[in-house]
Amino acid sequence: MTATAEKHRHIAAAALFLGALAARQFSGYAGADLIGEIAVWAIFAMSLDLIAGYAGMVSLGHALFFGLAAYGTAGLTLFLKWPSAAALPASILIAAAAGLLVGTVVVRLGGVFFIMITLAFGQIGWAYFLSAPSFGGVGGLSGIAQLDLGSIGLNLVNPRDFALFAIVVAAIVYLLLAGITASPFGYMLVALHQNENRARALGLPVRRYKLAAFTLAAAFAGLAGALQTQRTGFVSPELMVWTSSGEVLIMVIVGGLATLVGPAAGAAIWVVLRHYLSSLTPYWMLVMGLFFVAVVLFAGNGLMGLIGRRSRRPNTIAEVSLDA
Amino acid sequence: MTAASLLLQLLNGLQFAMLLFLLAVGLSVVFGLMNFINLAHGTLYMVGAFVGFAAAERTGSFWAALAAGPLAAAAIGALFYAVLLRRMQSESPMKQVLVTFGLIFVGIDTVRLIWGEYAQTLAVPSWLGGSVHVLGDVYPAYRLFIIALGLVLALALHLGLERTKLGAVVRAGVDDRVMAASLGIDVGRAFFAVFCLGCALAGLAGVVAAPVLEIYPGMDMAILIPTLIVVVVGGPGRLSGAFFGALLIGMAQTFGAVLIPEFASFMIYAVMALVLVLRPGGLLPARHAA
Repeated sequence: MTATAEKHRHIAAAALFLGALAARQFSGYAGADLIGEIAVWAIFAMSLDLIAGYAGMVSLGHALFFGLAAYGTAGLTLFLKWPSAAALPASILIAAAAGLLVGTVVVRLGGVFFIMITLAFGQIGWAYFLSAPSFGGVGGLSGIAQLDLGSIGLNLVNPRDFALFAIVVAAIVYLLLAGITASPFGYMLVALHQNENRARALGLPVRRYKLAAFTLAAAFAGLAGALQTQRTGFVSPELMVWTSSGEVLIMVIVGGLATLVGPAAGAAIWVVLRHYLSSLTPYWMLVMGLFFVAVVLFAGNGLMGLIGRRSRRPNTIAEVSLDA
Repeated sequence: MTAASLLLQLLNGLQFAMLLFLLAVGLSVVFGLMNFINLAHGTLYMVGAFVGFAAAERTGSFWAALAAGPLAAAAIGALFYAVLLRRMQSESPMKQVLVTFGLIFVGIDTVRLIWGEYAQTLAVPSWLGGSVHVLGDVYPAYRLFIIALGLVLALALHLGLERTKLGAVVRAGVDDRVMAASLGIDVGRAFFAVFCLGCALAGLAGVVAAPVLEIYPGMDMAILIPTLIVVVVGGPGRLSGAFFGALLIGMAQTFGAVLIPEFASFMIYAVMALVLVLRPGGLLPARHAA
């Protein structure tokens, strides 16, 4: 990864941030709601990019942590009557703890095996909440209270206020993840992705690094899941079904692995596309599947790969990103 | 639990295990050969069930369903190989697997487009409609047919793998693909044959399961996860791994539902996690897992 490539990505991220703010400024309730949804998925997608793009752990069960934090927020506020201000951080911790637990099992495996196991773990969560009567079963739970941000003049029930809040949180997450991936820890993740045996031979505790990355990614996915409850006030098992994990992976791959801003842009493209496709045809999953196949086949490293190609600079991460 | 009900549950477990075996064996051996997992394998099971259902509706014969389901699944598998997989052989396995993941979405909506949203049922053929007396209890003959079919196919596949030329090629390929190829063995062709056979078996599983389970768009995902768990638990690459993995998961699922109903949906995952912690390569690994 070159410093120039990194600078280009920061510029793209700033443009995306300002674009989102401008779009919110000029949109009504429905448009703002869509922007809020994009921001939540952007956080979710960036969290997956940390493990899938940088560390090479392509997970098909990432929605597990998104959904667990959402259910955590719902359970803590509705059953234990916690205030949202306490429930949100606590549910991020729940997601992180689950990430640590699941990660302990899955980081021992690599490549295609890893894909299968994460898919299975994701479906465990879905199957549990589908049949758990205390969490509302298929119907889920509704009536989750929003965070009281009256002190800074925001009312999250209002989609325009929520969009602003979510955009700012997404920007903070971008900065945090950009910091993490540019730190020695982040470089180690890239190193073990490129050649795990060499990294191990050089004395890197590979599993511990992978587990740390997996737990961190689960925590950020949890943040996105907790935010989602603030947007909709509602949780259902659909949050963690396999298509959810699939969609977020599509966003990452469409945007470009190991670029952070790519997955955020991928989230914007995908949420808008899904919004219009699902109003056009009930068979939008068919289109979505074909689109995904085409991106995997033809777009080297997604959107950011297309942009990067113009500078003719080989991006070392992008070249190995999908190699098991 | 009385001896009779224990026996009935054993038979139920065995029946589910045989379905899982039919699905897992193709996936497992293909994984051993090419490090490739077709996540749309469940889609072929769904296609087999729907095509079998359509064939039975049209002809009124269960035999037609038993022939049409596997044939349709194998044809789709061959088409997938010719259009996509063959061109992707130089690509990483990860990319190939992601493409099959995208195809799951395509599969579900295509089936919805052709057959609609609603669940269908395929009637048990009349010649298998009766029940059999087992230690004073009655047991549906059709379920015994599934068990017998599974056992016969397992034996046939075992003999095919141990006694035929293609079987030897496949075993050599699973052992060491590079070495087999440098000895002049066409591993790609063996891969194609095993892949299509695996697809046909998935289609067959779909037809056979149709009278016992419901046919609906999404049935592919319901079976994919237990199938993947069987592959993982058994250790990919070997027939015996798929067989004993299927037995373990089939029994865990069935007895879990009877003994601890509130945790039934967890039993197979708990078994998987336990196996992975103790033996990351599965129970009977063909070689060290990646």
